[in-house]
Amino acid sequence: MGSSLRATLDRGLNEIQENLVRMRELIDRALSQSLKSLSDRDIALAHQVIDEDENINDLRYKIEEECLALIATQQPTASDLRMIMAIMSVVVDLERMGDYAAGISKTVLRMGDEPLLKPLIDIPKMVELAREMLRDSLGALFDHDVPRAREIAARDDEMDHLYQAIFDELVEIMAHKPDSVHRATYLLWCAHNLERIGDRVTNIAERVIFVSTGDFKDLNIKEDGIGGIN
Amino acid sequence: MPMMSEINHNPKIIVRDLNFYYGLFKALSDISIEIQACEITALIGPSGCGKSTFLRCLNRMNDTIPGIMVEGKILLDGEDIYRDGIDLALLRQRVGMVFQKPNPFPKSIFDNVAYGPRVLGRGKKHEIEELVEESLRKVSLWEEVKDSLNKDAFELSLGEQQRLCLARVLAVYPEIILMDEPCSALDPIATLKIEDLMQELKKNYTIVIVTHNMQQAARVSDRTGLFWLGELVEFGRTDQLFTRPREERTEDYITGRLG
Repeated sequence: MGSSLRATLDRGLNEIQENLVRMRELIDRALSQSLKSLSDRDIALAHQVIDEDENINDLRYKIEEECLALIATQQPTASDLRMIMAIMSVVVDLERMGDYAAGISKTVLRMGDEPLLKPLIDIPKMVELAREMLRDSLGALFDHDVPRAREIAARDDEMDHLYQAIFDELVEIMAHKPDSVHRATYLLWCAHNLERIGDRVTNIAERVIFVSTGDFKDLNIKEDGIGGIN
Repeated sequence: MPMMSEINHNPKIIVRDLNFYYGLFKALSDISIEIQACEITALIGPSGCGKSTFLRCLNRMNDTIPGIMVEGKILLDGEDIYRDGIDLALLRQRVGMVFQKPNPFPKSIFDNVAYGPRVLGRGKKHEIEELVEESLRKVSLWEEVKDSLNKDAFELSLGEQQRLCLARVLAVYPEIILMDEPCSALDPIATLKIEDLMQELKKNYTIVIVTHNMQQAARVSDRTGLFWLGELVEFGRTDQLFTRPREERTEDYITGRLG
């Protein structure tokens, strides 16, 4: 008789999870397309990424409304309540990730027809890492998988190292070629947006731990306590 | 739900290793619990889990049932209420009870509240009148009934009858109020009135409530205990129990996966 007692709550939670997956797919697409718009200098594609960010924002509000309705009508408790509260926080992180992806495309628009300062090497790696981390984080959330959440948070260090490497390289170039400052800054902005996505995924990993254990834990602690340039 | 910024530790009732049998049937197993003074303690759990049996142990209301056996200790302010020679009338005056269905006496509103003090031989006529008014005020019924005190209690609405029964308990100056599903016969507004009253009353009384309504337990109580097949599965702060239960059975019960 167990499942029938909470059929409505389960149905509501499933719908919310499906919408979260939809949101994740849209961000995944925005990330790969913003990278493509950067590498191909595709203005039309950049515009498309920026326009489609609206869909991500809409989903955030839709999910928040669904959570609110479940709280009001189903009076969830314990892990159900923690999951809904976590999702209310996760959608904010997801929505911001959409903004960061769109931010890369906005940078592409600002670059106009200036050529890329250098071939893209680490930025595509950051994009791939961000997409993986994002995909895994929602999986860990739905599965209440704490070890996986910790592993995802650890991968953010890799993201930070990539960002640090890009930062150092671009600063070096700027120091020697002052006329490259503009073009270097564009790339720095792109890398910065990707680094921020890593931090947002880490927030999701923290929520996984909250859902599973009820504890709030900060996983975003940098090795040196300052976080370098991040 | 009252949030407790600090942990209150002032036990009014201490129960140690309580076992309760109806004949051969063991209805309660090794219950140990401390009921804190001036708090609301809610007892939840599926039907037949022992929560009402436990509640009725606290003022020995089960004594009238033939074939029962009680083991263990229940200490009220340190005194064992199951010891030989205890004054049961005094115990039940100190530990009053409100039941599921309002059960006013077939008397006037006034006489219902005055009944206890009269039986206990307390006070003169005007003192009883004052006590009736005071008790009816405590349950927010005075303004509604002050001009019709001689009216039959059954003419009141169910919610008013339940508040009258609470006034009847208060008129004998109890220390503890036991409530056995006090709102199950009431509509949501009358329920909220009782819940409001409980918050008022807990300033001066220790309240233990048995409820099937988990949201009610979550709303009104400081601590909650979950009973399951005669055992106390988990007992803790209400905010903690409903957000981060320690026991899997609690999680399953309050999320509707069990029961």
